[in-house]
Amino acid sequence: MGCKQNPLLPGKAIVAEIRQETPDVKTLRVVAADGGELFDYQPGQCAMVSLFPVGEALFSITSSPTRQGFLEFSIKNTGMLTRALHEIEPGAFIGVRGPYGKGFPYDLMKGKDLLFIGGGIALAPLRSLINYCLDNRHEYGKIEIIYGARSAADLVQRVELLENWPKCTDTHVYLTVDAASPDWTGNVGFVPAFLEQLNPSPAGKITITCGPPVMIKFVLQSLAKMNYQPENIFTTLEMKMKCGIGKCGRCNIGDKYVCKDGPVFSLAQLQQLPPEF
Amino acid sequence: MLQEDHPLVKSAGAVSLPAAELNEFVAALMQKYPVVAPIPKGREYVFAQLEDAAQLAKDYQPTILPAKKVLQQPLETIFSFVRQEAFAEDGKCTSLGEEKICFVDNGAAVQKRILFGVRPCDVNSFNVLDEVFCKDLPDPFYCRSRHETLIVAQNCVKPCRSGFCYYQQTGPGLQRGYDLLLTELNDVYLLEVGSEAGRELLALHPFGAASSEMSLAKDELLAAASRRLPKHILTRNLAELLEENVDHPVWDDLQRRCLGCGTCTMVCPTCFCYNVYDKLDLGLESGVRQREWDSCKLMEFSQVALGHNFRKGRQARAQWRIYHKLLYQQRQFGKTGCVGCGRCIYSCMVDIDLTDVAGTLGGE
Repeated sequence: MGCKQNPLLPGKAIVAEIRQETPDVKTLRVVAADGGELFDYQPGQCAMVSLFPVGEALFSITSSPTRQGFLEFSIKNTGMLTRALHEIEPGAFIGVRGPYGKGFPYDLMKGKDLLFIGGGIALAPLRSLINYCLDNRHEYGKIEIIYGARSAADLVQRVELLENWPKCTDTHVYLTVDAASPDWTGNVGFVPAFLEQLNPSPAGKITITCGPPVMIKFVLQSLAKMNYQPENIFTTLEMKMKCGIGKCGRCNIGDKYVCKDGPVFSLAQLQQLPPEF
Repeated sequence: MLQEDHPLVKSAGAVSLPAAELNEFVAALMQKYPVVAPIPKGREYVFAQLEDAAQLAKDYQPTILPAKKVLQQPLETIFSFVRQEAFAEDGKCTSLGEEKICFVDNGAAVQKRILFGVRPCDVNSFNVLDEVFCKDLPDPFYCRSRHETLIVAQNCVKPCRSGFCYYQQTGPGLQRGYDLLLTELNDVYLLEVGSEAGRELLALHPFGAASSEMSLAKDELLAAASRRLPKHILTRNLAELLEENVDHPVWDDLQRRCLGCGTCTMVCPTCFCYNVYDKLDLGLESGVRQREWDSCKLMEFSQVALGHNFRKGRQARAQWRIYHKLLYQQRQFGKTGCVGCGRCIYSCMVDIDLTDVAGTLGGE
């Protein structure tokens, strides 16, 4: 009956490396305490991260399963747990359990052109899939990445965005910021307007978007205007979650659980759900 | 006398017990297992472990908290963690240089026990909770409790103060989900056997034979109780009505009245949401991760980092609970999430009544 296992018991992990991405975002690289693998996962899946005795929350796994031996979480300092996670040092002991949810349908995306549209910290789940596709580059068509942040200082994964990704075959990165600093030479403006300005063709394309709820809302409106079809648009949702396994009742939307049935949904699926997002 | 082809005779599935001997039977059960049963508390009733068979409330209104609290406890420890330099290495500990953290799984074996006198609505609520807790990655706390709990249910021959179980097909007579089922017939109880474990309990006390007259009397009493239920809920097309009436004025009315206090969710036998938090002891050496009943009616329930709240208004929260019970769980599990016990109606300080809401949607 499986009653003997306690699925709420975290696996033991060590923070191996911490990168300061922006003033309020850090990326934690995490390894299993016993030296093995914590678990296998797919791009877009999530994990519960615990810090004792502060608590536990769900984070998307930002590393790609093609790069084994560790998990990475990009964490914005916003609340009690994330503040505490920002205070730890490499070598700290944390709990990790997962993977949870359904990842991006990367098989269905094979052979297609991919358009990623991200905002702020929400690059985290997209990055897992971007690196997965770049590590299997021949299986995917053109890759375009439109990403925006509040300012140039708030661009997460700066090295990948500015150096690594643009160097990959047929891969294009378009950056925008809400407010320009003197040294910023790129686009200034919100992501949806930038998207309409770039006006990428929907033909043969799958779009994957994630950002703050208000950005997603306007991006979806822009995509509709540009004739993108709901079944070719994917997004990944987040709600507060306490269990990650469809029991605590926090992340219900209609008859779906974000943790179990999501977090990745196509726009066609989302349109069937009550308009809480 | 019993007819030979009567189902009771065929399965030898029923016996009778003089009403005056019920306490003796309960005392015999208590010799074997802990017995959790309804007892009076003030002017209300609660489920508690019996210390004396005489405490048992035989004829009672629905308990303040549902029988669910026995299987999904209001507060449970998921595991303990110990941060201590000199903690015995027993395989549970992770040693990290100077820092040791040990997890102690608190999902220890549950003692077998009897849940006695539980009403059909509450038994049916377990079927809903089973769908949530016992599928996919089963919840060990609920599932262990569920497996180790024998259910001696009691049919409702008298209607309670705010139930509408008949319309949800969850009472006043119980169809399945029991080990033993009692029905009070004047001065005698009819006991029906629902499982092998229930049959074994019958060895603990001498019983009389059941008769087909008793079975008929039971059917008549339950039919009469069904007709006299104080509440009625419109069930025909309810799912469609909810789907079509997301913007109905009845939801504005709920917003004006609902206090967002969460009482309806605390007394609900099918509400299962929980919150999780860590608690450190005063010595800062150890702590526990606990979970506690939570409520979608509370403001913070759907609030995420940076303050966004998916159900900020009281209307959204009041509406959510009713949709979840009456529409979404129906879609998820193929059965309604409301067992018609009426506790939320009786307990609501501002008289919000989901049977009225359903009636309004249906133009009643």
